[in-house]
Amino acid sequence: MCVGFQELRFTLLVYTINIRVSLGRYNDDFDDGEDIAEFDDNDFAEFEDVSEDPAVDVEKEPPPRAAPSSTPIEDEEDEATVENEDGQDEFEDADAQDQDMYSKYDNEEFEGHEKTNPSFKDTLIYREVPAHLQNSWESYYMEILMVTGLLAYIMNYIIGKNKNSRLAQAWFNSHRELLESNFALVGDDGTSKEATSTGKLNQENEHIYNLWCSGRVCCEGMLIQLKFLKRQDLLNVLARMMRPVCDQVQVKVTLNDEDMDTFVFAVGSRKAMARLQKEMQDLSEFCGDKPKSGAKYGIPESLSILSEMGEVTDGVMDSKMVHYLTSHADKIESIHFSDQFSGPKVMQEEGQPLKLPETKKTLLFTFNVPGMGNTSPKDMDSLLPLMNMVIYSIDKLKKLRLNREGKQKADRNRARVEENFLKQTHAQRQEAAQTRREEKKRAEKERIMNEEDPDRQRRLEEAAQRREQKKLEKKQMKMKQIKVKAM
Amino acid sequence: MYWITVVAHLTYPIYCLTSYKPPNTETNPTLEDPTPDYMNLLGMIFSMCGLMLKLKWCAWIAVYCSFISFANSRSSEDTKQMMSSFMLSISAVVMSYLQNPQPMSPPW
Repeated sequence: MCVGFQELRFTLLVYTINIRVSLGRYNDDFDDGEDIAEFDDNDFAEFEDVSEDPAVDVEKEPPPRAAPSSTPIEDEEDEATVENEDGQDEFEDADAQDQDMYSKYDNEEFEGHEKTNPSFKDTLIYREVPAHLQNSWESYYMEILMVTGLLAYIMNYIIGKNKNSRLAQAWFNSHRELLESNFALVGDDGTSKEATSTGKLNQENEHIYNLWCSGRVCCEGMLIQLKFLKRQDLLNVLARMMRPVCDQVQVKVTLNDEDMDTFVFAVGSRKAMARLQKEMQDLSEFCGDKPKSGAKYGIPESLSILSEMGEVTDGVMDSKMVHYLTSHADKIESIHFSDQFSGPKVMQEEGQPLKLPETKKTLLFTFNVPGMGNTSPKDMDSLLPLMNMVIYSIDKLKKLRLNREGKQKADRNRARVEENFLKQTHAQRQEAAQTRREEKKRAEKERIMNEEDPDRQRRLEEAAQRREQKKLEKKQMKMKQIKVKAM
Repeated sequence: MYWITVVAHLTYPIYCLTSYKPPNTETNPTLEDPTPDYMNLLGMIFSMCGLMLKLKWCAWIAVYCSFISFANSRSSEDTKQMMSSFMLSISAVVMSYLQNPQPMSPPW
């Protein structure tokens, strides 16, 4: 009975303590000097960690309270020493438990806490700010280099384009008079239906200018191409620093059929002659011999000659021509006269072409502009005598005629070339003929099949059969004749 | 009496005007310069690489390729193709910098 009452008293004590503590806390808040009205139990209920502390305190307090409360009980029961010790032990245990709890709490809360304890003796590591977040343009030096390169390219483009344009205009100004006196039509871009003289150069590129002249006795027309260096392209300019090249003027004169006899002839620098003999269709076919030195004919040794026959060389190399070639040998790249001109050899993938390439009677002149790339507009005047040579050549070749022997030799050469070509393409031509025959048969059969009237169909079939029989008979006759001849 | 025969030949030069025909480059492909076409193609390839793989140096090379193609192009060529090539290469540069504003690092 006494024990039951004691327990009741103990619980009542605990409750009163709880209330007092909570009230005390409440009073502490008020002691801060804040208005009562602002505070509300409910407002603070979730944010206050008072509930935890009193809970902890309650946790703390019950064991010590329990211990002292138990001690008077035990004292009363005269078992103080043992129970005090017990109580002390409990107390101690409680303390120890608390310590364990804290250490456990700490360990659980902060794993590796002891290890990563930063001491103020370690140095701080400064990470670098990423370059794009820095306020300096220096980190973008590659981009600046790229943009500078682009600007340099654009500047070079403008300068190169202007220089080429000035050179072209200088050439045209120096040659205009000569051309207008020799040709009725100077400058035609081909856009208008009728041939009209524009009187100016036709710009094909930033480095190629064309001029078409027509309306002269004994020639169909003359195309002049000013092939300048690619001064507008910086890459080309840098490449030319390694390998110097010079500007070129190419003149292509197309003659009428009656204005030139049948021969092939070329004269020019040794390198150019070797290259042309390999590249050009007509020179490789008709001028099989190695290029001869020009010294025999009174021209400098730097020039060599490719000719179909000796008579042609003698006819072309008259005194005036020799004089032109001698005085302007450095500017002459190549001079090519041909009645079988078809351009460079065309490499076809399917094999050889079935037909001979179309030929035209052509005079082709290639001149080097002096200066080796560093040309000035004044250098264009030095090309004027070469244009005079072109006009002289046109008139000369109209009069140049081979004798009978020469003509026969030339005809034989052309027949030989044609025969060789036919032999080489024989197999291909046969195949083509076969396919054509098969296609015809197929077409005929289809026509017969598509015929609705059965009578007509029958008649067409009979006609086709008769034709085939006739062909067979002819073949048989031919075979018999060949056999008889062989015998 | 002396018969003086004066024979005068008045020769009128007979010529015909032929209109200019541009050379047919289909039959003779050696006459054509392939540089602008190759550079155009290279420029497009580098632009796509720069856009897809986010490589800044590819985009910059594409810009250079389109400039070189423009410098070597013929006057008869379509300007629309040139402009589209330019726009593609510039967009490649802009997109690669928007996606990654870091400056370009040199290969060394």
